[in-house]
Amino acid sequence: MAEAVRIRPGLPGWLTPPVAVGLAVVAFWVAAALTADLWGLADPLRMVARRLQPPSGAHWLGTDALGRDVLSRTLHGARISLTIAAVVVAAAVSLGAALGAIAGFVGGWVDGLVMRLVDVTLAFPPVLLAMAVAATLGPGLENAVVALVAVWWPVYARLMRAQVLEVRTREHVEAAIACGAGPMRLLTRHILPLCWTPVLINATMDVGQVILLAAALSFIGLGATPPTPEWGAMISEGATQFYSWWIAFGPGFAILTVVLGFNFLGDGLRDFLDTRSAR
Amino acid sequence: MLDTIPARRHSRRARPFALALVALIGLSPALAPRAQAAEATLVIARDMDITSLDPARAFCDTCQIVLSATYERLVDLGPDNRTIVPLLAESWEVNADQTVFTFKLDERARFADGGQVTSADVAWSLERLKHLKGNPSFLMDGVAAVETPDARTVVIRTTAPNSELLGILAAPYAAVVNRAVAEANGAKAGEGADAADQADGWFLANSAGSGPFTLAAYAPDDEVRLARNAGYWRDAAPVAQVVIKQVKDSVTQAQMLQSGAADIAMQIDADTAAGVTDPNVVIEPTASFNFVYVALGAGADGMPISMTRPVREAIGLALDYEGIIDLTVAGKGRRIAAPIPNGFPGTEGLPLPARDLDRAKALLAEAGIGGRVTLEAVYPSVNIYGVDFDILMQKVQQDLGDVGLDLALQPVTFPVWRERITATGIPVTAVYYAPDYFGSGQYVQFFGTQEGSPWYKRSHVAKAPDAVNPRIPDLLAAALAAPAEKVDEAFAAIAREMIADRIILPVVSPDLTLAYRKGVKGVRYSACCNLPLAEISVE
Repeated sequence: MAEAVRIRPGLPGWLTPPVAVGLAVVAFWVAAALTADLWGLADPLRMVARRLQPPSGAHWLGTDALGRDVLSRTLHGARISLTIAAVVVAAAVSLGAALGAIAGFVGGWVDGLVMRLVDVTLAFPPVLLAMAVAATLGPGLENAVVALVAVWWPVYARLMRAQVLEVRTREHVEAAIACGAGPMRLLTRHILPLCWTPVLINATMDVGQVILLAAALSFIGLGATPPTPEWGAMISEGATQFYSWWIAFGPGFAILTVVLGFNFLGDGLRDFLDTRSAR
Repeated sequence: MLDTIPARRHSRRARPFALALVALIGLSPALAPRAQAAEATLVIARDMDITSLDPARAFCDTCQIVLSATYERLVDLGPDNRTIVPLLAESWEVNADQTVFTFKLDERARFADGGQVTSADVAWSLERLKHLKGNPSFLMDGVAAVETPDARTVVIRTTAPNSELLGILAAPYAAVVNRAVAEANGAKAGEGADAADQADGWFLANSAGSGPFTLAAYAPDDEVRLARNAGYWRDAAPVAQVVIKQVKDSVTQAQMLQSGAADIAMQIDADTAAGVTDPNVVIEPTASFNFVYVALGAGADGMPISMTRPVREAIGLALDYEGIIDLTVAGKGRRIAAPIPNGFPGTEGLPLPARDLDRAKALLAEAGIGGRVTLEAVYPSVNIYGVDFDILMQKVQQDLGDVGLDLALQPVTFPVWRERITATGIPVTAVYYAPDYFGSGQYVQFFGTQEGSPWYKRSHVAKAPDAVNPRIPDLLAAALAAPAEKVDEAFAAIAREMIADRIILPVVSPDLTLAYRKGVKGVRYSACCNLPLAEISVE
């Protein structure tokens, strides 16, 4: 950290160029998601021009096979993709971290049960498992979210358990036990506060991955249903229109930048928060 | 099958050497082009849907191509897609009330193994088609008996007058199979054949017909390979070999045509075809007999409104037919009046559907439907005949939205769709249909809302009395008994009934894009057989 401060005086140590780029990109897409209706763009669900028109002054990213504005759909798509990512990561962290913490803290057969469940889940390739769950539940964004949570929770369970196992042997915990602290107090006041850092870093990095997998599910028809402007579904529509490259370009570029943004941000966050990762 | 396409390259590479040799030994050089054409291989890029290659079991568009090339029927459908022409039968007679059909077999007709085609083979094959109880077995529903007074005469008796029997017998599924060969490989034809017959696997690797080609090899999800029948009893096919390659999407089919890896493709959608600018590729849109329709579940479960006849009429009037054709097939399609393909008996002069929003809104208001109503729209998420159903249904959603009907779109796989429509019905859906033989009767039986018909069940009409049409069975019987000059009129009357029932709302008959390399001749679309391979030559 100290080194970074020396190189760029006046900037906080964590704000390296990649982090700045990541932050800017993520901020842009979050702003786009919140303000998509205020940009004065065409209705993303209605036919507004002739179909399959290439990019022009009136429609910066052209129109799709139904004559809808691709730019408008891409910006409105941010709302859907970011919401999915936020909900999935929040749910996966909550579920995974809770189970992992209990497993690590209680130990014994509870630990065995939870960790075997984790092992079984992680034994499936994530994309295949998500597809299987989504296909069983049927198409729809809600079902895609359930499928993604089912894929992602074990990572956090494993991470949290490892953290809890490590922290619970520290001296301050033993001191708290000696002072007569109950299990609930031990876990919530003395152990968990020290376990969140890697979970947070992982969660930031995972946002991008969740957006990717959600788009993949929609691409193969297991996520968003028409006419929802979801990025993966839009790319799927564009894939059938080979000579109209612009249909897939908007959402493709959006996914590329937002995933890159979250990866940069996660990297920076790790460097800043995780004292063990040497620079 | 790894040796398949390289084999073609080898033959091309070997050709110059062979020709040089021919020239060297002093034969006329004029023979060279003919020799080249005679050895030509025709490659077709196609997304295949083969379920079986047993004529009595198969039921698919690609099956029509393969079966009509490897087997022959008593009669064929002429190039005008209307006239019945001789094939194995050189002549036939029909009695006055159209219940007894007598065929005289062509004496020259031979199977690929050299054996003569006899009336016993014909009777055995039709009997087998009936008793296997497979998908195409319904074609034999009205057949009471097949008699063989002598080796060259076949007499078919029907249970009721049937003006369409000749059209049915021209379907590739009514193929005449070499009985001796098939029986030696486990085929059975009598009662109980559906359980006793063991030949399905054998037919996937072999053919036993009299057609211009024989089945050389079939590798599922890869290719079908046909070889010219060397001893064909009529004029031999111009190409020595046909390879149908499995190519899933329209864009790849177009690219293969442009690169020369394929000679013919028939499933290139209109948007992709518009992007093909290669001067060596001929793009020929042609009217097809396929159509795509919106279907209403008059008695579907859980609807917030009662889907009475005026409501169904309003939905029909709210659809923007021209817009749908423009969006789904880039304008390369035709409107269609009734659920019977344009050009089939009874379709001439029917009123084409058109959008009338004011009338649609008025009808809905009269039916007491004010404000917005949400209807479920489960549909198969397929792309067929160039129509992407996701795009179609989004357009239908927009159109119906204009009259206050909101569709909740649910794309599903075909099996899931079939289960849903059977179990609970679906208020608004979309499906497609292609003819199984030339004749309008099949459409009346399938789409009419007479008791027990497929769409009577799918639309759950039993719960929507005003959608049941009890007049159809009598009208159909009359149409099937009608003399040739009255058939059109009789089917037109049924078509008008089906239009008024408004369960099936046909939205587009997509044009078929015949795309082929320059130098390929004789490519045409057939109502019975899809693509008649024996007529195609390569320059």
